Amino acid sequence: MEFFSPTDLLGSSPILALGLFSLIALLVNAFLKNSAGMVFYVSAVGIFVAIGCSIYTFPMNATAFSDMLLVGGYASFFSVLFLVIALFSMFIAKPYLEREQYHYGEYYVLILLATIGMVMLASSADLITAFLGIEMMSVSFYVLAGYFRGKLSSNESALKYFLLGAFATGFLLYGIALIYGTTGTTNLLRIVTMYPQPFNDPLHIIGWGLILIGFGFKVAAVPFHMWVPDVYEGAPTPVTAFMSTGGKAAAFSVFLMTFSVPMSMRDERLMTVLAVLAAASMLLGNWFGLSQTNLKRMLAYSSIAHAGYMIIGIASATPMGQQGIAFYLVSYALTNLGAFGIIAMMEKENGGNLNYEDYAGLGKRKPALAALLAMFMFSLTGIPPFAGFIGKYYLFASAVQSHMTWLAIFGVITSLFSTYYYLRIIVYMYFKEATNHEEIKLPGLTFATVILCGAGIVLFGIVPSLIFDLMKSIF
Amino acid sequence: MNMYEIIFYFFAFITVASASVVVFSRNIIYAAFSLLFTFFGVAGIYVLLNADFLAITQLLIYVGGILVLLLFGVMLTTNTVNIDIKSGSMNVLAAASVVAALAGLLGGVFWTSDWFVSKQMGELPAQTTSKEIGTALITTHVLPFEIASVILLVAIVGAAMMARREGIKSQIPSSK
Amino acid sequence: MRARRECLACREKKVMIPLNHYLLLSAFLFSCGVLGVVVRRNAIIVFMSIELMLNAVNLSLVAFGQFLGDATGQMLVFFVMVVAAAEAAVGLAIIISLFRNKQTVNIDELNILKW
Repeated sequence: MEFFSPTDLLGSSPILALGLFSLIALLVNAFLKNSAGMVFYVSAVGIFVAIGCSIYTFPMNATAFSDMLLVGGYASFFSVLFLVIALFSMFIAKPYLEREQYHYGEYYVLILLATIGMVMLASSADLITAFLGIEMMSVSFYVLAGYFRGKLSSNESALKYFLLGAFATGFLLYGIALIYGTTGTTNLLRIVTMYPQPFNDPLHIIGWGLILIGFGFKVAAVPFHMWVPDVYEGAPTPVTAFMSTGGKAAAFSVFLMTFSVPMSMRDERLMTVLAVLAAASMLLGNWFGLSQTNLKRMLAYSSIAHAGYMIIGIASATPMGQQGIAFYLVSYALTNLGAFGIIAMMEKENGGNLNYEDYAGLGKRKPALAALLAMFMFSLTGIPPFAGFIGKYYLFASAVQSHMTWLAIFGVITSLFSTYYYLRIIVYMYFKEATNHEEIKLPGLTFATVILCGAGIVLFGIVPSLIFDLMKSIF
Repeated sequence: MNMYEIIFYFFAFITVASASVVVFSRNIIYAAFSLLFTFFGVAGIYVLLNADFLAITQLLIYVGGILVLLLFGVMLTTNTVNIDIKSGSMNVLAAASVVAALAGLLGGVFWTSDWFVSKQMGELPAQTTSKEIGTALITTHVLPFEIASVILLVAIVGAAMMARREGIKSQIPSSK
Repeated sequence: MRARRECLACREKKVMIPLNHYLLLSAFLFSCGVLGVVVRRNAIIVFMSIELMLNAVNLSLVAFGQFLGDATGQMLVFFVMVVAAAEAAVGLAIIISLFRNKQTVNIDELNILKW
């Protein structure tokens, strides 16, 4: 009997590379003194190797390890996205952690391990691997959220995230159990064939409902969003940057893949439920965003709203919607990483300098920084020529395509709400006098990352076909 | 009532009663110890269901590992021996009604649905399951198996990092 | 060993507890766990309630697996147990590190961030 075929090893090569380098990083961290910088470089090399593996497997279209993993296409696309996010968030983290005197090697090890979980999620073809991927990612996030272990806000954030995350896992697992019970398999490729008729078994419907609750927590959709503002605000800023982009993208990649099974029958009831979830997330996320004064908290509510926009793509169940989600995730990840990178540079010890007022007059003090932040806010609002506009356009168009015009209109209206709080920061930066004249230091690594993110959203906003051409071969 | 039903209802009763104590007890030590009986009752039901390997694993991991960890947690945070059930009636009422709806939904569907029993597909051959599980772990499920061990690595690294004392910037009031 | 033989016997006589009973037990455990999570305020008890939920899941998985004659259910239970152990370790570490800074593990006393 043959245990490992070349496809198995190639298909899991990004995971293997990340695992190998995280072990090397752990050993370096354990045996060398003051090795955090060294661990950073080892981890970065690991990520580059994994990116290479993912790109190499992109043209393949297969499954590995007895249908546990998808190889190529979808999996590779999202893996590269997560790996780039992990790399950028490490670049943001290094100067930040050095400044806060919390620079330990474990941080990068945990980032690598969380990334393994994300890559697993995007490539899972089985509910078992999906579950393990979610857990791997979440357990790393719980620890990362509490990384400032001497700071109360970080402890609280970790505890809330942990309790609600584990609670959500319970629902997800119960849903998996019911689906296993009604179909006799946990494999997504086989569930489709085992269950060809429309869903009328109540057990099966409840199973998908419970899985939806579990994923709803992970992607931060209303009404499962209550952990988001606290966790995002309390966690260290680079961790928030990583969670809000990588965590969300990974959760969406598995959400999309899993729900392509029930959505393949275009069940009206499920589409309506998803549409209502999307509408509620857009409305409440943007509504609460209006009254925030803390930028991290504002971006947390904005993250809920953006989860709503992306659920439109799942609800519409068209290839256009799926491509829209993938594109939106790319643009959202770059935008948010950039915005959090700027917040990380502006932040002072013990969470100071996070409010709107602290950004007053930034346009004169640091014109380049202010211009970049303004670009990110325009992209989040969905103003052309930035990438956020194209993403939103595709998602709303997909809603219209599946005869849910009301959802598209609703999305446009709630986006109008959001312009208020996104543009308010621009008003503060350019039209208010600075009250705070402390020197702002711009660490080169973070600043370069932010510039890269800015370049990315302009590039993909002007030439979206760079990504859409890739996606034609995926969906 | 035959022997097997008696055994089932015995274990089911233990599980139900001790689970209720976990949720409603005012004393955290009682809650922790009745959790032991819940785990034990569930293990008994695994044996009835022919899952011998899992029954033993349940005892080893849940009772031997998780419960001991929980007790350590309780002991390290013992200024909270008597804790009230969350006050604020609105919260409890809302929560209880949501949970009652969930329980009613699940219970009702499980009770009425005989979809599955009617077209039973067969049973595991009546032999020890550890061989089958062991084979699956290194063939079809080798990837999840390895990933599970990496998850344990995450837990070790994470727990060691979180619980370590050195390097903490003191915000702790000096009273303790 | 003893329990095994009994179960073999129960199969020969074709006396089986119907699947519904196992599932109802699991639904009860699950609801208990959910109630505990939303009602209790001690973080450790909330965590115990989550363990109840996971046990409910495991119970229904084993029951389904047995009635389907398929081992996947038992495999999944094995992985759930591993993950539960990992979560317990990390969760307790988080609770301890919070307790060190705040001297409480009651989740409604956490008010630096609004709950």
